[in-house]
Amino acid sequence: MTARLLPHDRVAEFTERLLREAEVIAPRRLETGDVFYGPIAAAEEVAWDYGTAVEPLKRFLLPQRERILRFSDDGELRVEAEYDERERIFLGVRGCDVAGVAVLDEMFGGDIPDPYYLGRRARATFIALSCQQPDPHCFCVCGDAGPFLKRGYDQQWTKLPDGMLVEIGSEKGEALAAAHDDLMQPAELEHIAARHRLAKEAEKLFGDYHSYAAAAMRKLTTNEVAPEVWEQASDYCEECGGCTFLCPTCSCFTVTDRREGTGGVRERHWDACLYSCYAREASGHNPRAERADRLRARFFHKLSYQWAQRNGRHACVGCGRCVVGCMAWAHMAAMSDAMRRGVMP
Amino acid sequence: MAEIATICPFCGCGCGIYLHVSDGRVAGVSPSRVHPVSQGRLCLKGWHAHELVDNPARLTRPLVRRGDELQEATWAEALAKAAEGLSKVRSSAGPPAIGVLGSARCTNEDNYVLARFARTTLGTPSLDCSQRIQCFPELPRPDDGIGLGVSTGQIADLDDCDLILMMGADPTEENPAVAARIYRARQRGTRLVAASTRSHQLARLADVHLPVRPGAEMSLIGSLLHVLLIERRLAGKEGGEVPALRASVADLKPENTAAETGVSAEAVRQAAELYEGARRVVVVVSTGLSLAPQASEALQALSNLAALSRQSAGPQVAMLSLVGRNNLQGCRDMGVVPHYLPGYGELTDDAVVQRFEHAWRAPLTREVGLSAWQMLGEVKALYVVGDDLLRSLPDPRATREALAGLEFLVAQDIFLSPTAAMADVVLPAASFAERNGTWTNLERRVQRIHKAMEPPGEAREDWRIIADLSAAMDGALPYRSSEEIFEEITSLVPVYAGVFYPPLAVNGGIRWPTEAAREKAEAPFSREDLGIDDRPVQALKLACKTAQTSEQYPLLLGADPTLATWDGEVTICATLTVGVEFTVSAKDYPDGMLCLNPADAQRYRVRNGRSARVTSPRGETRMQVRVSDEVPEGVALAPYYHGARSGLMEIAEAEGTGRPVLAPTAISVGPES
Repeated sequence: MTARLLPHDRVAEFTERLLREAEVIAPRRLETGDVFYGPIAAAEEVAWDYGTAVEPLKRFLLPQRERILRFSDDGELRVEAEYDERERIFLGVRGCDVAGVAVLDEMFGGDIPDPYYLGRRARATFIALSCQQPDPHCFCVCGDAGPFLKRGYDQQWTKLPDGMLVEIGSEKGEALAAAHDDLMQPAELEHIAARHRLAKEAEKLFGDYHSYAAAAMRKLTTNEVAPEVWEQASDYCEECGGCTFLCPTCSCFTVTDRREGTGGVRERHWDACLYSCYAREASGHNPRAERADRLRARFFHKLSYQWAQRNGRHACVGCGRCVVGCMAWAHMAAMSDAMRRGVMP
Repeated sequence: MAEIATICPFCGCGCGIYLHVSDGRVAGVSPSRVHPVSQGRLCLKGWHAHELVDNPARLTRPLVRRGDELQEATWAEALAKAAEGLSKVRSSAGPPAIGVLGSARCTNEDNYVLARFARTTLGTPSLDCSQRIQCFPELPRPDDGIGLGVSTGQIADLDDCDLILMMGADPTEENPAVAARIYRARQRGTRLVAASTRSHQLARLADVHLPVRPGAEMSLIGSLLHVLLIERRLAGKEGGEVPALRASVADLKPENTAAETGVSAEAVRQAAELYEGARRVVVVVSTGLSLAPQASEALQALSNLAALSRQSAGPQVAMLSLVGRNNLQGCRDMGVVPHYLPGYGELTDDAVVQRFEHAWRAPLTREVGLSAWQMLGEVKALYVVGDDLLRSLPDPRATREALAGLEFLVAQDIFLSPTAAMADVVLPAASFAERNGTWTNLERRVQRIHKAMEPPGEAREDWRIIADLSAAMDGALPYRSSEEIFEEITSLVPVYAGVFYPPLAVNGGIRWPTEAAREKAEAPFSREDLGIDDRPVQALKLACKTAQTSEQYPLLLGADPTLATWDGEVTICATLTVGVEFTVSAKDYPDGMLCLNPADAQRYRVRNGRSARVTSPRGETRMQVRVSDEVPEGVALAPYYHGARSGLMEIAEAEGTGRPVLAPTAISVGPES
């Protein structure tokens, strides 16, 4: 499990080799200028210089809309599940996004194993790219998710002058490196030292959005958040669902069935616990009729220790996407500050 | 998998989105971060835009009525039947007996071709877009009072102002991306003043909320002008109409109007002080103001404020009108209104009429046609494109009767709306993801939508259907592509000059008018139309008409057009996941939603979620109560279309615009039995 160095002039060839083995998902800069993770067809499509992609990796493990089974009834009732069996290598993705996968793993791999997620997950390899240029909205330092990861990756690459430092984080990562050792060199001590130095420097680059996660977690867990905070917060939220859909660790979904001919399909779709009808029952009763209650439930799920204990980590990786994507002002940075101080800004 | 950059199809913000397409199916939506409106955000509707597309309820084949049922037919059959039906009415009752309704959901190209079809092949002057009633505040134009309705400002002005004045608007409900900017402005220290009956979430966070009673909007703005003009002497120069304006608000001292407006004198003065102290002000206007009685006076008063500020070196003022549907602005720009040709060309202007007669190779009537509202009961046939009249016209009962009484009804849409379900011929259209074209947002930003996949079944682009129908009626409209239509538009619509497809491909499109258009500007375009706020001050004709409450009818009922603006809208209701959010009010409030303050609910012994008996001088009905502390005491609010259908409120046509206004009325509320 020794670190290697992949010289810069070998990165393209390594990428091309990956493309022959699996679907490669990497950050790409679209014509518009937005950066999205998505499948690449060639090594030059990878955008190595970027802050954060617009969205996390979630779409590839838990699509916004996926067909989970098909049923047909033309005399004989048949039900067929549809699984996604593609091998995927996630190349150059951010630490915050890889860290978020751990929470999804607990959600879908826990008491009720979800074969759709787990199938995709088992066939996924994560090559994280450590972050040396946080975006203004980032706070992964508060989410134990970067800018350089300590764990949870198969490989973590760090851009050094000589090449990419390849840290190995799992057996899968080691096997992948070993298979392409002809492109790699052993990493020297100076490379490791440089990596640690870059990590320290990156930690100093974070801007305004500290989420004070520790203080918020403590208050939430011990029921010390003033109830008025949630009441006030409901004026700061528009229930757009943006925080939910952009969050690497959110996983709420709903299921629909629809007819097609004599049979039909069952699909799973992203949903958001903040939506007013999310928990509404067929009787019309709504256990979380007030927006304040829905907001409290959301942040409890993200930060309280009860959940962190189950997941192995709290559910905010500090990617800052909710800060960008919030249609009003009830994102993680605003809310953890509010929980800590007892009042909305 | 590909990300196709396009625009969200719901409200008038025009947020940049990406549709995720793989294997010819659309699997999801993402916001664009670089787009100037979305900036990485989408609202509840936008996040589910893809569900409109791959949806089991989509119309995929033409339908023709045989007996009581709508049955599938071929395009040839359906077009022939539609042509026959419309031709018959045209020859027996004359062209004006046919009404044509265009759509905010359709592209500029679709609407332009529809305008040409209506005015030439059909020869009718009665062409309109009914969605403008509830979703489009029409700002006044000097002289004619009809309203050109263009914002002078843009969304980005919210990022750089010290005061935001929200007048009859609820941005979180109507244009969430605008609300997002207001929230961020507030975080930076921008002050907020909200004048609205309902204390919605932004009003609660505002520095000053002016909880104006329904119908008293004019008095409130008049009081504000009184404080600014008379107490604080805002107007520097005395010329022109300023003395007359000052005289017209002389009696509107806030203490005098407080009982009627429901707003304390102190609050009015606080708002005035904030206004005077600001350098840059954005006035956000919406239908809460423009559907109020005396709306044109209220809007003129706001316009006066902007003009006076400019003259006296007071704050710079940008007006931003909220627009509730994606291409309402464009639909109007393309002349799908009874009183203009495309590009706001006056029907009385010979040069303009001749320009179009020449381009369209047909004579044009100079008659001002019927508005959507006026058409009910007057026309004998309707061609309705992309619209559900039972939702967009105020009185569903009257609308249903009028539709049932038509000799012929053709509907064109992507879903079988309740209106389409009553039609003789239904034509299936392609959705926004299945065709190219342009839309114009609330800040006059013309943007491209991009085709991401093929339409389902036999659905076709709207302009193509219109052209085919026209051909079946011997009026060839030989367009071959959206781009070709758009090129014609840029040559004939002065404010669209210089806007072509290639530059539109850039993120964020182009706001009209371009430099080229400004250079070409000719009468009758005032500088106001070109986004330069140069409106002169005009004296106000005040005649306050708020309804009086009494012991018998102690509450004042207002119809709020900024409340539940998407409930019952066919497109969002058809979505698979969040459709429930917009249909649930029909379940919970089947007879209509009546919002009451908790103290009033208790006083009149009615309960949240339960039915109540509601009586006005016009009659009695049952509605379900929603107790809300957003409603001031002494006031009851219903969503606009619930108020309309209750039968409790008088529906009167506003002068000049042909738009139906629901007059606030005094009511009594009590338990059902």
